[in-house]
Amino acid sequence: MPLKMKKIFLSFFSSLKLTIILLIIIAVASILGTIIPQQYGGGESFRHLSPGLFKVFNSLQLFDMYHSVWFIILMGLLSLNLIVCSLDRFPASWKLFRAIPSPDRSKPFENLSPNRILIIEKDRNEVIESVKNILTKRYKRIRRKDADSITFFYGEKGAYSNFGVYIMHLSILIVVTGAIIGSLLGFEAFVNIVEGESTNTVHLVRQKGVKKLDFTVRCDKFSISFYDNGMPKEYLSNLSFIKDNNVILQGPLLVNHPITFNGIRFYQASYGSTPGGQASITVTRNNKEKNTLKVNQRDSFYLKEKNTKVKILRIEKNLMSMGPAMLINIQSPEGNMRFWVFKHIDKIKDRIPGLFEKVPKFNPGRFKPYCFKLDRIESNYYTGLQLSHDPGVVIVAIGSIFIILGLFITFFSSHKRLWVRVDDQEGKSRISVGATSNKDPVGLKREVEHFLRHFKKG
Amino acid sequence: MILNTTILSWVTFIYFGSATFYIFKMVTGREFWGSLASIIAFIGLIAETVGLILRWFESYKMGIGHAPLSNLYESLIFFSWTIVLLYLIIEWRIKSRNLGAFVIPFAFLSMAFASFSPNVNARIQPLIPALQSNWLISHVVTCFFGYAALTIACGLGFMYLLKGLEKRERPRLFFRLLPSREIVDELTYHSVVIGFIFLTLGIITGSVWAYSAWGSYWSWDPKETWSLITWFIYAAMLHSRFVRGWRGKRMAIMSIIGFASVLFTYFGVNYLPGLHSYF
Repeated sequence: MPLKMKKIFLSFFSSLKLTIILLIIIAVASILGTIIPQQYGGGESFRHLSPGLFKVFNSLQLFDMYHSVWFIILMGLLSLNLIVCSLDRFPASWKLFRAIPSPDRSKPFENLSPNRILIIEKDRNEVIESVKNILTKRYKRIRRKDADSITFFYGEKGAYSNFGVYIMHLSILIVVTGAIIGSLLGFEAFVNIVEGESTNTVHLVRQKGVKKLDFTVRCDKFSISFYDNGMPKEYLSNLSFIKDNNVILQGPLLVNHPITFNGIRFYQASYGSTPGGQASITVTRNNKEKNTLKVNQRDSFYLKEKNTKVKILRIEKNLMSMGPAMLINIQSPEGNMRFWVFKHIDKIKDRIPGLFEKVPKFNPGRFKPYCFKLDRIESNYYTGLQLSHDPGVVIVAIGSIFIILGLFITFFSSHKRLWVRVDDQEGKSRISVGATSNKDPVGLKREVEHFLRHFKKG
Repeated sequence: MILNTTILSWVTFIYFGSATFYIFKMVTGREFWGSLASIIAFIGLIAETVGLILRWFESYKMGIGHAPLSNLYESLIFFSWTIVLLYLIIEWRIKSRNLGAFVIPFAFLSMAFASFSPNVNARIQPLIPALQSNWLISHVVTCFFGYAALTIACGLGFMYLLKGLEKRERPRLFFRLLPSREIVDELTYHSVVIGFIFLTLGIITGSVWAYSAWGSYWSWDPKETWSLITWFIYAAMLHSRFVRGWRGKRMAIMSIIGFASVLFTYFGVNYLPGLHSYF
């Protein structure tokens, strides 16, 4: 790169203005993202509202904004800005860290406030000795310089505080790196498994297609429990992880307690029940011959009479808030007959007198000499699992720990430098303390007071 | 009504009294009102602590024991608790009671919202599966200490701007009682630093929790996104101070903007679709 371009590049990317502008743009974009629905299919309702706007939004990837090219570019620019800024300023901090100023500088002692000067009735050499002792005990990189009748000392502490901000910036970059690794090498997926069934195919999020696992997951059981007030208490899936027909791992999966298998973490994400599950029904003939059987939607079976076929058309969990019901069709030589069979038919009949006369379609004994009864609908739960494989997560965790460390160093430590001058003042000794700090002036004041207190005691 | 909610609704009035006396102090200039306000705020804090602990106990008696940090009502109570606690610590450290009039009203408002809003359910409710986590306490505590520090920074920001209205000649007593701009600026900075650190910790504990509950440490859920926006605002504020040496009015304005973002992160997000629907 030619020197001039390099300079322009550096001054552009190292400016705080760029940081602020980028932060504002990212913030505004993020706000947009919280308003425009981002979930899968979130744009669908939009498509109907305004097809033109939908097209524009869609081409700008606004329905999956946080993964769009332009958002990633913005984040990239911010990272670059962070890197260049840090590199640009680091040499100065390094110099500050390394440099040991000479003890006999005059600047620290200019305009010294009176409470930083102490006159002690002691021999100068004795005072020098105790200054030396205190400094070596509590300070680092002590320097001493003796002039004719004056002795100068220099000492410092907290030099590392110059690096707090770099630790902070570096750890943010570590987190970003971890996130990139996670998004490149990891995956997120989901799968619904009906109780008793198993699968090895999962759906990748953001419509990236399906993925075949090299093992099989079986949902042995799914259950929900509720508190007395009806709020959900626990979602639990009993899962088996199967490889080469062997169950390798079995365990309960709960919300907040993921299971890891083969480097993939499984989460209890959702649940549901499959539409029209299996129903258990009883068929009575002439009030004596009873037959109980299990049927699925669209199943059919024959009755004793020839050419009489019963077909289960629909199984409803709750029909018109009258509880479980199924619609059956009976095909006989006399023709077709269609009616509903309720589970709680007795209760319904009690509530509505003369129900069968009013609504013959609700009479389970409509096809004589048979009477049908719906015993129960077997609820077919499925468990909704979320899968994730993220090799970047360790890096993100390390970065986060260093962010905390960096914060504490940046805000709670400061580089304090002390210059101490000891000279004669009409037979007594005079101590003057000059001090600087890169931040925290209050702490510096306390530091100097603490230092001088040693001499006030006597 | 259960005992804890009775105590907590009384605390609302106690904080109202405290806030009123802090304002009296600013208007009359008499230290008496300030001392009274401080004592009342302290009594309120103790009563509120008792109320929260009782609530904790009562939840165990109901067989659904959990820390009282699990719904909007409890979070509002805890918010005011952190505000008053932090405020009293600051008051004790800076030995001035002039800030109270700008901070305690926030604690009162939070309590009033919790106690009187028809949309806030004060009943102790069991924890839904997603909230049954050891990270609940650390996440909520860090977030709300952050919110409280940033609330105080906002109060200081208002104070600074108000001080700017002071007339050069013969300023009114009220203005004279306000601390000097340098002190307000310094205090704002310190509050923002504390708030920023807690906010960072809150985001980190939140993402650890999300990693164990939702399968991803960051999923751009509106609450997560808004917390990041808030973090950006305060990061920008601190940088402009460190690098550009911004002070005073600009800092005051930024602390108010930042607080608006905090409020949106806390409340506004409830009106957007997302996973954080418990608060």
